[in-house]
Amino acid sequence: MLAVERVNKSFAGARSRVVLNDVSLQLAAGEYIAVMGESGAGKSTLLNLIAGLDVPDSGRIAVAGQDLAALDDAGRTRLRRARMGFIFQAFHLLPHLSVARNVGLPLALNGAASTEIAARVEEMLAAVGMLDRQHDSPNQLSGGEMQRVAIARALAHRPSLVLADEPTGNLDADSAAEVLALLRTQLARDHAAGILVTHSDVAAATAQRVFRLTQRGLHERPAA
Amino acid sequence: MQALPLIDAALTGPLRRSPGRNALLVVAIALGVALGFAIYLINRSAADEVSLAARSLYGLADLAIESTAGLDENLYPRVAAVPGVAVASPVVEVEGKLADRRSSLTLLGVDAFRSRQLQSSLAALAGTMSSGLDAFDPQAVFLSASAARELKRDTGDTLEIQVGEQTELLRVAGVLPQAGLEDRAGVMDIAAAQWKFGRLGKLSRINVRLASGAPAERVRAAIAALLPPDARVTTPGEASNEALRLSRAYRSNLTALALVALFTGGFFVYSTQSLATLRRRREFAVMHALGVTRGQQLALVLAGSAIIGTFGAVLGVMLGLAAARIGLGAIGGDLGAGYFRGLAAQFEVRGWEIAAFCVLGVAVAVIGALRPAIEAARVPTAAALKAGDVTSGELRTHGRIVTVVLLLAALVLLLPPIAGLPLPGFIAIAMLMIGAVIAMPSVVRMVLRHAPFARAIPYQVAIAQIAGTARYATLSVSAILVSFSLMVSMAIMVTSFRTSLDQWTQRILPADVYVRLGYVDQSAHLDAGTAQRLGALPGVAHFETGRFARAQLALNSQPVTLIARSANHMPIASALWLIETAQSQSRGDAVAAWVSEAAADLYGIRAGATFVLFLQGQPLDAFAAGIWRDYEHQNGAVVIDSADYARVTGDTAVNTVSLWLQPGIDPHTLENAIRDLLPATQYDLRTPPDLRRLSLQAFDRTFAITYLLELVAVLIGLFGIAAGISAQVLARRSEFGVLRHLGFTRAQIAAMLAIEGAVLGAVGVLVGLLTGGLVGLILIYVVNRQSFHWSMDLAAPGWLLAALSAILIGAAAGIAVISGRQAMSADVVKAVKEDW
Repeated sequence: MLAVERVNKSFAGARSRVVLNDVSLQLAAGEYIAVMGESGAGKSTLLNLIAGLDVPDSGRIAVAGQDLAALDDAGRTRLRRARMGFIFQAFHLLPHLSVARNVGLPLALNGAASTEIAARVEEMLAAVGMLDRQHDSPNQLSGGEMQRVAIARALAHRPSLVLADEPTGNLDADSAAEVLALLRTQLARDHAAGILVTHSDVAAATAQRVFRLTQRGLHERPAA
Repeated sequence: MQALPLIDAALTGPLRRSPGRNALLVVAIALGVALGFAIYLINRSAADEVSLAARSLYGLADLAIESTAGLDENLYPRVAAVPGVAVASPVVEVEGKLADRRSSLTLLGVDAFRSRQLQSSLAALAGTMSSGLDAFDPQAVFLSASAARELKRDTGDTLEIQVGEQTELLRVAGVLPQAGLEDRAGVMDIAAAQWKFGRLGKLSRINVRLASGAPAERVRAAIAALLPPDARVTTPGEASNEALRLSRAYRSNLTALALVALFTGGFFVYSTQSLATLRRRREFAVMHALGVTRGQQLALVLAGSAIIGTFGAVLGVMLGLAAARIGLGAIGGDLGAGYFRGLAAQFEVRGWEIAAFCVLGVAVAVIGALRPAIEAARVPTAAALKAGDVTSGELRTHGRIVTVVLLLAALVLLLPPIAGLPLPGFIAIAMLMIGAVIAMPSVVRMVLRHAPFARAIPYQVAIAQIAGTARYATLSVSAILVSFSLMVSMAIMVTSFRTSLDQWTQRILPADVYVRLGYVDQSAHLDAGTAQRLGALPGVAHFETGRFARAQLALNSQPVTLIARSANHMPIASALWLIETAQSQSRGDAVAAWVSEAAADLYGIRAGATFVLFLQGQPLDAFAAGIWRDYEHQNGAVVIDSADYARVTGDTAVNTVSLWLQPGIDPHTLENAIRDLLPATQYDLRTPPDLRRLSLQAFDRTFAITYLLELVAVLIGLFGIAAGISAQVLARRSEFGVLRHLGFTRAQIAAMLAIEGAVLGAVGVLVGLLTGGLVGLILIYVVNRQSFHWSMDLAAPGWLLAALSAILIGAAAGIAVISGRQAMSADVVKAVKEDW
């Protein structure tokens, strides 16, 4: 599903530094992993490179067999739109769209028919327990509720790969546990691969495998 | 020193953080101040020059005795003998028609010995007398410096003046120093002037200097007791005010129009500061949490605006000075309107004027920021500090306030002009525009409710975005709304005026050919016999004549233009554009008169009313047979039958002969015949198309400057959209980042921004068309009417407004994409991590 091969990335400028050093990762369909690392270790940079939002200095990244380097920005955008879903720490629901329209947006972007969008939105909101709030505005929701909607949005268009960047960073412990369980369930149901970037050992423990990103590369943490 | 970190955090920091937007604000204020200052300086310089020129005709005189009909010269020794009069100097003033051009030269016939006691510069005249030379030479004329400059004449040159049909050759005996006689004039011996210009026994004016310590009011009363009813005692100050009176409304209107750019700049400040308040919401909350008081926050936001205003005002004053200097030299003191032809206004600026416009610029910036500053001080700290806080974009409609403002505007419109200026009209226009800005949220709500559905995702997200932030989105449009309203209103007013003027020229020029020689007060004219011979030329079917003179509608009032027309073939009423007609066309012995709108307004004359018309001081009972539309005589005009005029005045001279040709005769074939008939006379020969073209050219020249003012105001309005969108883009960085994550291409983001810009532009255009239409009606039916006493028919330039609307919406869309280019940059994807 995902192949990251010997990827390097550094940022130029007055304080230039190497962020990713010889990073490799293979991820099969339906596999769910966690990536941990200190602040500034390059976790978000890795997600951006996988999403095609940034390009590596060297190395190769392929998503669903498609080499990202062979695609231009529009091509990468189309691939991202069709095959990937995102969950952010700060939820990032579009504030001026209702809950239902937020969830339906990836489907609409992929050209789904309105009846299909309505059905899938209902299904996803029901799955995350937010169906009764579908007409609400995001600013009427709590943090946990917003993240549940974000999960629904990330999976609405049945992506092959879901990238979750600190999805529980803004939540209390109960809400975090609830969201992580929901994420894992939904990934399994859609047989989607998932990468969870987190600082939390508790969150990482919900993944099948845990990796640690350091200056020396990405290394799998042995199972406890 | 303790305040420094606070000032840096809340004042200088934000100023440094948005250099582009702050630079736009500075430029907007600068443009507003520059235009207002430049127009003011040009107007003031011209007014000073006119005033100085008019004043210089009186020298050191304290009083002047004048009469429209002229004074009997026997009055002069009696005035000179009044106790308290130190010097009395008789003057004959004639408008000498220049043979080689259409204009005339004011010729002053003076008594050299008397006048030099009032005007030291005229000593040169008296100086020549001792040698028995120039001053007594009936051909000698001394030119003022400005006349010599404009006519390109120097000592020893000749000057051809037309008197009747003949040409008088004068010799330039000298050029007076600039300070001696500011007006564009020539000075000659009084006896020669009386003789040459048919003013024997008549004086135009007696200038009087009072003895030192003489009681002015008592002397004035003693002189007034000697005068015939049509004469009056005036002061040089009153005379110079009168010289400015005709152009006053034009100058005031132009200054008001120039200040609209500053008004627009104020709205630009308002919208930009409001959006900055939105963007800095959390910042304000943090500062308050750290201990900055609400009062300090208010003061700091206002101080930031004052700094911007100061930079803008200083830059604006510098630009205004340069523009005024260039404008004065290139276009002239009347900015192309033709009020002050031949005037060489001197550029001079005073310290208090610079200070006043600086204060104006700063005040506009601070007033514009007042409401946003209050909102900044009221940011709810706890809510704004909460993660995921989204500023309420709910529309707050202000139906009641809008209703009250519009009602007040309507009431203000009912007020009469103040000091002769249409100030209530301008105040109503400002209130209407403020009302429109306040009404914007309601309009946005209505527009969004009726927005058509489209499947395109960028369109749907854009509409949702505008709906969600409508309260702030409308702010971006306020400046463009104000400037577009101005543009629409001016387009409607100018089109209405131009169309009416065009129709008017066609209606008042029914003949095929017009021969004209001289105008009001000018020395040139045709004899009645010559006019008859012109009418008898082969190919001429029939003809009418016209004579221009001065008349009064009340003793001691300003003269109006009297037009004495023949009615050989065509009834007078048929040659006028009557807007009111008396029910009965005769009223006993009263003479039928057709009164222009301006005269009817100024003297309260209605159709059918009787009034007294003073012709050369002689009262004549008249009745208003009709009120006619007139775009030529701002002071007012009255048309009577030339037979009535000749009966009262004995004057049978003619200024215009209108010729109707027999079918198939080409007007140009008459030219040689007319030249043969008037071999030594310089006359104007025009056909209606010539006259129509000339009048429309003059009209377009007059309004050319207004297009520049409108353009600048719209430019400032577009700044508002640019600053608004770029501020929104900054505030919405993470949103754009999410959209990119979700699969929006850069092109889709650009399309979304373009749609947002276009929708905002369209809303501005929609409200601008409505507001501009109303302002146009106020300009046509109130401001113009009160300023110039001219009515006009409403004519809206549909295609022009449609094109302007399309251009503006397109510009708004383009500017939104350009100013929102950050939304398409790679950096926005990082913004999703920049949250709390």
